[in-house]
Amino acid sequence: MDTHTMKDIEWAKINKDVLNSLEKPRKTFWVVIGVCALLVLCGAAAEAYQYQEGLGVALMNRPHFWQLYISNFVFWIGMSHSGTLLSAILLLTKADWRKPIYRFAEAMTLFSILTAAIFPVIHLGRVWDMYWVLPYPNQRTIWPNFRSPLLWDAAAITTYATSSALFLYIGMIPDLAICRDNAKGWRKKLYTTLSLGWMGRAREWMAFRKTYVLLACFLVPLAVSVHSIVASDFAMSIMPDWHITSFPPYFVAGALYSGCAAIITLFVMLRYIFKFEAYMTTEILDKTAKLTFAIAMVWNYLNLTEYASIWYSNDMFEKEVLLEKFFGPYALVVWVMLFCATVAPFAMAFEKFRHNMWAMFWLSLVIQLGMWLERFQIVSPPLASNHEPWTWNVVWPGAVQLTLTLASFGWFTMLFLTFCKVFPSVSMYEVKEMVFHRRKASSRSEMDDLQKIKEDMIKTEEGLA
Amino acid sequence: MRRKKHLLFATFEDFDKARDVVSELKVLDLKEMVVENIELYSPIEHPEVEAILGEFHQPIQRFTFFGAITGAVCAFLLTAAAAQAMFTVQPQGGKAVIPLPMDIVIVYEGAILFGVLSTLAAFFIYSGMPRRLRKYYSQKVSEDQIGIEVQILPENKEKVRATLDKCGALEIREVIQ
Repeated sequence: MDTHTMKDIEWAKINKDVLNSLEKPRKTFWVVIGVCALLVLCGAAAEAYQYQEGLGVALMNRPHFWQLYISNFVFWIGMSHSGTLLSAILLLTKADWRKPIYRFAEAMTLFSILTAAIFPVIHLGRVWDMYWVLPYPNQRTIWPNFRSPLLWDAAAITTYATSSALFLYIGMIPDLAICRDNAKGWRKKLYTTLSLGWMGRAREWMAFRKTYVLLACFLVPLAVSVHSIVASDFAMSIMPDWHITSFPPYFVAGALYSGCAAIITLFVMLRYIFKFEAYMTTEILDKTAKLTFAIAMVWNYLNLTEYASIWYSNDMFEKEVLLEKFFGPYALVVWVMLFCATVAPFAMAFEKFRHNMWAMFWLSLVIQLGMWLERFQIVSPPLASNHEPWTWNVVWPGAVQLTLTLASFGWFTMLFLTFCKVFPSVSMYEVKEMVFHRRKASSRSEMDDLQKIKEDMIKTEEGLA
Repeated sequence: MRRKKHLLFATFEDFDKARDVVSELKVLDLKEMVVENIELYSPIEHPEVEAILGEFHQPIQRFTFFGAITGAVCAFLLTAAAAQAMFTVQPQGGKAVIPLPMDIVIVYEGAILFGVLSTLAAFFIYSGMPRRLRKYYSQKVSEDQIGIEVQILPENKEKVRATLDKCGALEIREVIQ
């Protein structure tokens, strides 16, 4: 069913369809969950091994103190960007096509930020000392250094995770009430507790709407600040290829780009697994693809600006690293990244391609591969050829790092799909609002048409007379 | 002793009927003072709710504003106090003990975090949640019907019921609390 007929869906049917998705997904759901659980188990084993033997097993040594763990951290933080940010922006601009897809996009934000938060802990090696980053009075009278971008990261990510979780939860309350009214057993208890006694009273709706918009206003600048701060981890160092003024906007654009691609992947996946064909329509996919294409072009521009500013700066260290990137040992990574993230998205310029669900699914995966490689080529190549030639060394990530990377994808997908199985991933009340307003607009335009025909007939009669 | 509340809870097919019934009840109330309070329940936000029921006083944005300011001040105090506490342990070598440009990031995050939390607190205060479900609450309201709850004096029950019936109520429940 296409969106132009979405106004014909009955409200009761919306409830029924979404509630059915919680009970009866396709069998693929269990297959995907099984594969993801296996990946997570492998990751847990790799982490246990690293914990036991030390960070050396991850092949991290001078000068490669940062490698895949930090690339993954940046990738997952980036992924977390689009969900809440796009949901908030589209809410503030009253774009009604966000309504069937914003819930899962926000959930994507929450779970990717939870996945990202694991990597600094893994990267630390001494996992048991992680709490030292927290500012609390202690017997050593030592406080964390708030001048460090790493501390800014901790503050920004905590704020972003808390705010995104609350934004997701608040937006879900009316739907939890619907679930409560229709569920049985443990689900009934869960939804009753979480819906907090929502009854759809006018005062509840008014408070809800005001709160939701205010939270959205906070989340837009917050999301931008989080990735700017992640960029500061690099830009505030003196490493060649990292010490670049345009890094924060470049990171934000990259985050939005990979996040939009992830939304497309999950859109097609959920549409198939939970049978949301009537709600996740080609029209919405088309709009998301156009947005992704536009952001891809912004990211490309910033990427080229970065290369150009390094080239024209004539700084020998910066230039050396840039040339090493394109023609050195990591060249394949850079060229594949450029193909996946710069060339491939041009397919979205074609309407026929944008309307093909599975083509878009594979393209979104290609883009994400490109963006993951982009994070890797930001972190690793500059470390391999920095200011100190005697430390130059090319190191590729070992099995432990790669296993933990794969496990993070399994972990994210498992959490995300479990969420979609327990909570409604399509917002029922917002889709009802969309249907209501579209129906109203269409009946208004029908009335206008009738009025016009009537006026034309009168004019014709007058003319004939 | 607390006076018992008499309520009539009726459900309607759509917003238009709900709007008509509220208007009728208001007219009746102007003439005969029969209604004490009207409450509207709906599956989506009523597009003209304030035009029907009047404006709601919910200054949530004030909580947001003062929450954000409190957050900024607290975050600044934390960073400044930590820098002071570290002064003897970690000499600054001529640099500012309390560096404003760096602290701005933490202050910004603090403002947002406290702003969000205080907005949430305001939401709970003004929406009256969390609360128990009312016994007469109809599940149909979360599906596709509009509910109207009218608080009345017992002697006016029949007049109000007749009005609700006339406007096409699908179901009317009578409650004494």
